[in-house]
Amino acid sequence: MRLTRRRLLAGAAAGAVGAGGIYELVDRLASSPKRPVVVRRPREQHLLGGMETISDEGVEVLVPPLHHRVMTARVRPGTDLRAAQAELERRLAALDRRFDPTPAGLGVTVAWGLPYFRRHVPELARTHLPVDVRATRERNRPVSALLDAVRFPSDPKDTVLEDNDLAVLLRSDDPGHVDAGAKAIFDGFDALEQTSTRRGFVGGGFSGRQSLPKQMALAAGVAGAELIPDTAQLFLGFTSTQRAAMGQGRIANVETLGYARDPHGYFHGGTTMHLSHVREDLEGWYLNFDFAQRVSTAFRPDLEGVRRDAQTVRQSPRDVSSERQVERGYHRFGAIGHSAAIQTSSRLRQRHVGPDGTVYEPGTAIPQRADFNTLDNPFAWSSQPKRDGMSRSPAAGVHFLVFNPTSDDFHRNRLAMDGVLPDGTKLAFPPDSRGQGFNSVLKTTHRQNFVVPPRAHRSFPLAELA
Amino acid sequence: MRKIGVVSLAVLAAAVALVASGCGADRAVEPAAKAAARAGCPAHALAGWRRLASRIHAPVYCPTWMPDPFDGVIGGQWNTIDSVSPDRSYLVGFIWLEAGSGELHVNLRGYPGRTRVPSCVDVNTVNGVTRRSKIPCFSDPTGHRRVAGIDATVYTANQDADRWHVLYAWRHDGSLYTLSQHVAVPLTYRKVVADLDRMLRSLVLVRPSS
Repeated sequence: MRLTRRRLLAGAAAGAVGAGGIYELVDRLASSPKRPVVVRRPREQHLLGGMETISDEGVEVLVPPLHHRVMTARVRPGTDLRAAQAELERRLAALDRRFDPTPAGLGVTVAWGLPYFRRHVPELARTHLPVDVRATRERNRPVSALLDAVRFPSDPKDTVLEDNDLAVLLRSDDPGHVDAGAKAIFDGFDALEQTSTRRGFVGGGFSGRQSLPKQMALAAGVAGAELIPDTAQLFLGFTSTQRAAMGQGRIANVETLGYARDPHGYFHGGTTMHLSHVREDLEGWYLNFDFAQRVSTAFRPDLEGVRRDAQTVRQSPRDVSSERQVERGYHRFGAIGHSAAIQTSSRLRQRHVGPDGTVYEPGTAIPQRADFNTLDNPFAWSSQPKRDGMSRSPAAGVHFLVFNPTSDDFHRNRLAMDGVLPDGTKLAFPPDSRGQGFNSVLKTTHRQNFVVPPRAHRSFPLAELA
Repeated sequence: MRKIGVVSLAVLAAAVALVASGCGADRAVEPAAKAAARAGCPAHALAGWRRLASRIHAPVYCPTWMPDPFDGVIGGQWNTIDSVSPDRSYLVGFIWLEAGSGELHVNLRGYPGRTRVPSCVDVNTVNGVTRRSKIPCFSDPTGHRRVAGIDATVYTANQDADRWHVLYAWRHDGSLYTLSQHVAVPLTYRKVVADLDRMLRSLVLVRPSS
């Protein structure tokens, strides 16, 4: 075998920490921020209470939990659904008693994929899953609020569209709480066959300390780690959780905006969730784009007045871009900004009053993001390592996780990111073009959509009706 | 523009020894680099650098240490770019490229009689429409390196032949000089910075022939 420079260097680097072991550093690197005290447990599983807000660059920013884990699973064939439902609920209720639903405690969100509904409760799913009113009207046929994931124009052809029955999201400032949650739900529970574990982290830099993503990337020795700004909330250097860019309260609920019809009210208080894994080319981002270009790419090409090295860039309702502005930018600069393009579909066009009387003003963000950085490549563990392309070497990426009222609503946002705007305008870009925002440094490896039932129906939804 | 070279196993082993040595070990060899710098531009390389200095009528910097397999010889096996523009600015590049293994690429530049960061043209072609805009050739300053009378600014986002390079730029006697290295497999940013630090320490000024 010919000895190449790459092989020799790979040998030299063998002492670097593998993706699995790197998370053992988290305990030593992170310290938990102070958090507001307990809040009541909401009907919604996807909402976390006790979220601290801080001001950065004069912009109000939510401080997300530091540690995240997603565990996916399939329901073992032949499972007694009602017994499994009772058992999972018993385990979740025990966690509820032990931890507050806050970053200081433990956020637990159980989401269910179409394979579960198709395999285990197909008839009930047909009659009970919410229907996407907007998509049904436009396509002139019934469209479920929960859709199979699709590959988007900028996705690689080999992006895996997953078929998990369920996904459990665990979030906390304390990694011990996340561990406890994972064990409490899965250990010794025969009805669930785990398919993957995905781990990650976010934030930790607002106090001026080196952030968790920066520390973890350096410790793992991933390419470009040194280029991440010291206090960056995420690897790509910009803050993603400013309050104005995050859906607030119940806006992402199935019922709030009228995007979906919930025929039996079973999913009232629920939402849909998209989960994907995206690799991030940090060297490509920081060496190929200077700060001004990164701002243009992340936000919009004509954005001015951003302080050099700022990490939080205001995206309030009055900063929202319209389709025409995005199109003008495309023709003028040959580029679209990531945020600007998505805003054409992710922000409210008109004032809306929710069923609970909450008023949502035009320009309000709808999606509730819960994404986090990772060194998984692509997962921390997989039951199908070959299909998933598992590697022991750590790699910079993001487990992208977002709550939208319907799967189609997420699809609209993601298409806008690729230049397919809500009014049908298509702003075409060649593959990997620098002009299409973040996409040139992102590669999506996996996708799946889920429905997140309300807390009352979080365990094996519809099984009690079967 | 690029030449593909295949390196012998012995040369590779030497290269790996250097790479594997990392930043800490780099400090250990610093005296050798300093000694080389004190000793002046190596005899086998001096003629080329002196010729360049004479062509541009200004001093140039000769590297007395470069990452293996480079030897710093203008016109040598690894020197693939030797260019002087009408404004007397120069670009000397060294490239080692092995398909499937990776690449080493080091550039040295000089801009006689001017110290401002030059402008480059950013070309963006989308759907057959080409847009050109002027941008700084070197941007995103992230720090300084001060060695042997040189105060170099570290730039991480650079253009043209220095795209995807980390670049050190400094001023001397009314002129701007740069040294850059490509961050490419199998090298990491950290290793490239270590290489640049060592090359910077090894630079010696070569003046035009009188």
